[in-house]
Amino acid sequence: MIDNIKSFDYHVSWRSRGRHPGRHASTQRGMGMEFRGHTTLLSYPDPRRIDIRQTIRDPLEQVYVRLFNQKSATPVYVICDLSGSMNFGAKKRKIKLAAEISESIAQSASEHHDPFGFIGFDEKVREDWISTTSFKSHHAITMAEALKDFHPAQVNCNGITEVYRYLPRERSLVFLISDFHMPNTLLEEALSNLLRHHIVPIVLWDSAEYKNLPEFGLVNVDDAETGEKRTLFLRKELREKIVQSFESRRNEIYELFMRFDMPPFYVEGEFDADALTEYFHQFVAA
Amino acid sequence: MVFSHPWVLWLLPLACLPLLLQRAHAKHYSWVDMLPIDPLSNLISLILKILAVLTLIFIIIGLAAPHTTEQKVERIGIGAQIALVLDRSASMDDPFSGSLDSSGNMTVGETKSVAAARLITAFVKSRQQDMFGMITFSNSAMYVLPLSENKKAIVAAVQATAGNALFQTNIGSGLTSSAGLFDKIPDSGSRAVILLSDGAGRIDANTQQKIKDWFERLNISLYWIVLRQPGGLSIFDTSYVPVEDQPLPAQIELHEFFQKFKTPFKAYEAEDPKSLQLAMNDINNREKKPIKYFEKIPGQDYSNLCFMIAAFMIALLLGVKRIEVTTWH
Repeated sequence: MIDNIKSFDYHVSWRSRGRHPGRHASTQRGMGMEFRGHTTLLSYPDPRRIDIRQTIRDPLEQVYVRLFNQKSATPVYVICDLSGSMNFGAKKRKIKLAAEISESIAQSASEHHDPFGFIGFDEKVREDWISTTSFKSHHAITMAEALKDFHPAQVNCNGITEVYRYLPRERSLVFLISDFHMPNTLLEEALSNLLRHHIVPIVLWDSAEYKNLPEFGLVNVDDAETGEKRTLFLRKELREKIVQSFESRRNEIYELFMRFDMPPFYVEGEFDADALTEYFHQFVAA
Repeated sequence: MVFSHPWVLWLLPLACLPLLLQRAHAKHYSWVDMLPIDPLSNLISLILKILAVLTLIFIIIGLAAPHTTEQKVERIGIGAQIALVLDRSASMDDPFSGSLDSSGNMTVGETKSVAAARLITAFVKSRQQDMFGMITFSNSAMYVLPLSENKKAIVAAVQATAGNALFQTNIGSGLTSSAGLFDKIPDSGSRAVILLSDGAGRIDANTQQKIKDWFERLNISLYWIVLRQPGGLSIFDTSYVPVEDQPLPAQIELHEFFQKFKTPFKAYEAEDPKSLQLAMNDINNREKKPIKYFEKIPGQDYSNLCFMIAAFMIALLLGVKRIEVTTWH
C-alpha cells in the first residue's frame, strides 16, 4: 500500500465469474454468505454444510447440503489513451493526470483484492505500456509513475479499436481514460467491441482547451495528432464559439456513451477520488 | 523595367518559404477539429502569409535594383538662340534716303543705325522666349553680350549701338566672333545669326573657310540684312555684269560666299526703315517654327521604393507580432 495515493470505493452490479476469492458477488460456489440452494451430499461432499432441517424433511432420506456463492475477485483494467492530444494541459498534462488516476485505480483495486492491469494505446496498442493483471499493484504503479513523464508523440488514437483483444474473456471492470478527442465512428466501433466489459469512461478535458483561452490576440495552433495548422484570431466572439463547440461536444459524447449504457465520468484539471466513489454509488447498482 | 543585378531574381523562389515553413512557435492544441471555423481568422492567416511572401518578393526585387531605362522624350519649343551681328562702321551713321511723308515732301530719314536699333529693339521685345547675344564690329569684332535670356541687357546693348559709329567694315571678324557665341551653349535646335551691315567687306579665303566650317558645325542659320544706298548695287541684281579684270564687288562676292553655306541662309536688302521692318518681320516669322528636340530623361531607380514597401510590410508584421498571444500554455 502506498499511502499518498488516494483510493476510492467501487463495486460492480454483475456477478463475477472469477474463482479467486474477492469482494464482488460471484457465480462461484464456495465459502460465501450468499445462499444459493440445496444439493445432496453426494454431489457436493462438504459435510460442514449439511442442512439438517432439509435432510429431515426429505422422505427419501437423502442428506442435503447448503450451497453458497463465494465473493470473487474481478479484474480491473485501465485502458489509457497515449495519443498526442494527451500531451496537452495547462497546469498538468493530461497524460500525467491519467497516470495519477491509474495509480488511484491500481491502489483501489489492490485494496479490493482485485487483480489490476494496464493497457496503453495510441495509433496501435502499445505493447511496451502493458501491465498484465496482477494482484500486486506495484508493477502497475511503477508504470504509472513512468507514465507521468511520458511525452506522447504526434500520433492519433486509432489503437482504441484493437484494445479489446488484450482484455480477458471474462467480464471485467474497465476504466477507459482518454480525452475522447476522436471521431464518433471510431469511438462507436471501439465501444461496441468492449460491450462484454463494464466500461467506465473517464473523460479528461483541460479548461485551457476551451474555457481559459487568452482574452485577445493572434495565435497559431497545430493539432497534436494530425499536425494540422490553424491561425486563430482570439476575441470574445470566437472564444464563445469555442466554448459552445466544446459544450455541444460534451453532449455528443454523453449521448454516445449513454447509448452504450456507460455514463461518462468527467475530470477537468484535478482528479478527485471521492467523486469516483460517488459515481459508483450513483450509477452502479449495488 | 530592367534590373541592375538580374541574377538576384533567381532568389525569388525563396519568397515561397513562408508558405512552406510554418512559423516555429505554433502552440500545440489537443484537437483542432474542435475549434469552430472562423472566417476572420482564416483571412488574417492568409493575409499574413501573403504579406510575408510579398515582403520577401519586394526585398529580392529591391536587391535586384529595378530601374527604368533612360527615355527620350520629344519636346517642342519655340525658343531660338539668336546672335545679333551689327555693323558699327562709320557709314551706319548715314541717314536712309528720304521718304515721302504724308504731305508729299521729301524728308531726311533717320540714320541707319538708329533705325536698326529701333527695329531690333522691337524685334527683341517681341521674342520673349529667345536667347540673344550680340557682337558689333567695325575694324574688328567687339564682344558685347554672350547668349543670354536677359532681355534688359540685350535691349540696352542694342540701344547703345545707336550712337556714333566708327571706322570700317570687317564682316569676317564679326561673323567668327558671333559663331564663337554658340560654341559652349547647348543647341536649342534653332540658331540664327542676324548680320546687319551696310555694304560689305572682303573676307580672305582662310577666314571664309573658318566661317563656313563654324556655321556648319554649330548648325547656325544666317540672315543677312544689307542696308543699301539708294541706287547702289543690289546683290539681287541678276543683270549685273562684272567688270572684266576687276574683282567682283564686295557684297556680291560675299553673297555668293554665303549661298555656299549648307545651313539656311537668307539675304535681305533694305533701303529704308520700312523695308528693314519687312526684313525683320520675315526673320521673325521664319524663326518661329517650333523646335523639335529630344530630351533624355534618366531612368528611375525603384529599389528604394521596393525596400520602403518591404519595410512597411515588416512593420505591419511586427505590429501583428505585438498582438500575438504569449500567455497561453
